[in-house]
Amino acid sequence: MTAEDDDLVARIKQALKVVIDPELGHNIVDLGFIYDVSVDDGVAHITMTATTRGCPAASFLKEGVASSACLVPGVEAVDVTMTFEPPWHPSMISPGVKASLGFAELN
Amino acid sequence: MGSKPVIGTNLCKWTVSYFALAVVWLLLAEILMATGFGFPHDDIGGPDTLVIVHMVCVGWLSTVVCGALIQFVPVLVARPLYAERWTLPALALLTLGLTALLAGFLALGGHFNGPLWLLPAGAGLLIAGFALVVANLGMTLWSARPLPAPARFVAVGLACICVTAAFGGMFALVLSGTDLGAQWPDLLVSGVPIHAIAGLGGWLTFTAMGVSYRLLAMFMLAPDGDAKLGRLAWRAGAAALAVGVVGGVLTLWRATGLNLVLLVAGAAALLSLVAYGRDVLGLYRTRKRRALELNTRMSLLSLGSLAAFPILGAASVATGSLQSHAGALAFLVAFGWLTGLVLANLYKIVPFLTWLETYGPVMGRAPTPRIQDLVAERRASKWFVLFFAGTWVATLMLLLDAALGFRIAIAVVTLATLGLVEELVRARRLADVAEPLRLPAGAAVPRLLVLRN
Repeated sequence: MTAEDDDLVARIKQALKVVIDPELGHNIVDLGFIYDVSVDDGVAHITMTATTRGCPAASFLKEGVASSACLVPGVEAVDVTMTFEPPWHPSMISPGVKASLGFAELN
Repeated sequence: MGSKPVIGTNLCKWTVSYFALAVVWLLLAEILMATGFGFPHDDIGGPDTLVIVHMVCVGWLSTVVCGALIQFVPVLVARPLYAERWTLPALALLTLGLTALLAGFLALGGHFNGPLWLLPAGAGLLIAGFALVVANLGMTLWSARPLPAPARFVAVGLACICVTAAFGGMFALVLSGTDLGAQWPDLLVSGVPIHAIAGLGGWLTFTAMGVSYRLLAMFMLAPDGDAKLGRLAWRAGAAALAVGVVGGVLTLWRATGLNLVLLVAGAAALLSLVAYGRDVLGLYRTRKRRALELNTRMSLLSLGSLAAFPILGAASVATGSLQSHAGALAFLVAFGWLTGLVLANLYKIVPFLTWLETYGPVMGRAPTPRIQDLVAERRASKWFVLFFAGTWVATLMLLLDAALGFRIAIAVVTLATLGLVEELVRARRLADVAEPLRLPAGAAVPRLLVLRN
């Protein structure tokens, strides 16, 4: 990836913060739902997860990720992959959000 | 093996319609009880009491549980609902069937001069409605074998509603004086415990226990991946129900031994409840989310009622007063445990569905509120406190045989229910969501009684 791509990835990650997990009330980037973002010739490849596979929110989260990434200038197309390997775990949450959720010590 | 799991499932259009009708039945039953209709003013097995019991158990609890299951079973097993188009006819059959059944009971009690065929007609419609729900959920579960633990509880619950409905149908034939019913003269005496165990114990309680494993783990962020979690509670509970139902039918046939069957089933049920309590405490202890939301805290209060049930039951057996305390015990299960648990969870499920319906489609394009922004916990918590306090006082009044005290306590419960219903309506109307997040471009205010999917 070029420095330009790195910059685009950073902007995509920033844009994805508009998508929140409605139950936990925080954006999915800080919650650790976004496993990987890469850019290839203007196409954004995003690998993400959700807390519960069958939850109706999971498909909305996926569509929300695609919509928000599409809005970033320089992104021509978006490819979102939803995976449950590895399964999401609360330890993936960023420290600041953990504290605001009143989290227990994570092990 | 069944089909492959899917990512995300659809919202079922009629879920909130089930909830709304259920709440209407609950309020009707509470108002009737507050005016002194049925037990304890009338006989516990009398037609007036049967009106209340079926309003609460079929109209309120079964309708709300069916509505929740058509939404939640697909989430539990990550498979789409087998046939969404069956959900509205099922609701219509359940509602019509219950209305006819209640009219039959009122005619039986001499409140109006109605035909007695109302009872079997109502029972037939109810059986058809439950059959549609059971077939729909059963086919959904079938596609997801092997089942995860919570879904196995639901499967047993579905078997139990079939037993409950079958007995109910036979009672209707006896009570309405048909020739067929006349062949089973003792059915009403010995069959009622099986009808009640399968209905309150198997269908409502066991299903709620199973679903609560997943809900509590989700809302408390507690790990529930251990395959052993819920295993003992399921095995002991399924054994208790099998002994209670199969043994009950055998003793009915041989006309002896019902007490022994109930004792063995009771012991297995107690083991199941203890194992369940241990599991819930385990989830509570290992939770990652320290600050619990109101729905979870109130679910824990309802679990307190469930824990009180075997203690009060054992005390009644020990003092030889089980017969006279049966009404109080049934009330504690139906209101303190089941109604409390359902109201606590509706307080999460209704805002959750409303959020998905309203903000799901605009996610990623505009900032959205959180689910918690759709509710006002401080305002709702006073209604919950009033509800549980009223319910526990009402149970106490039944134990003390204080009919007037019971009515006053039920009036408080009714007021609290009305308060909570208003909170749910406010959530549907997005009344507590602050601007500018309330209606981003492309979002619309939901309809009160039907989900947009």
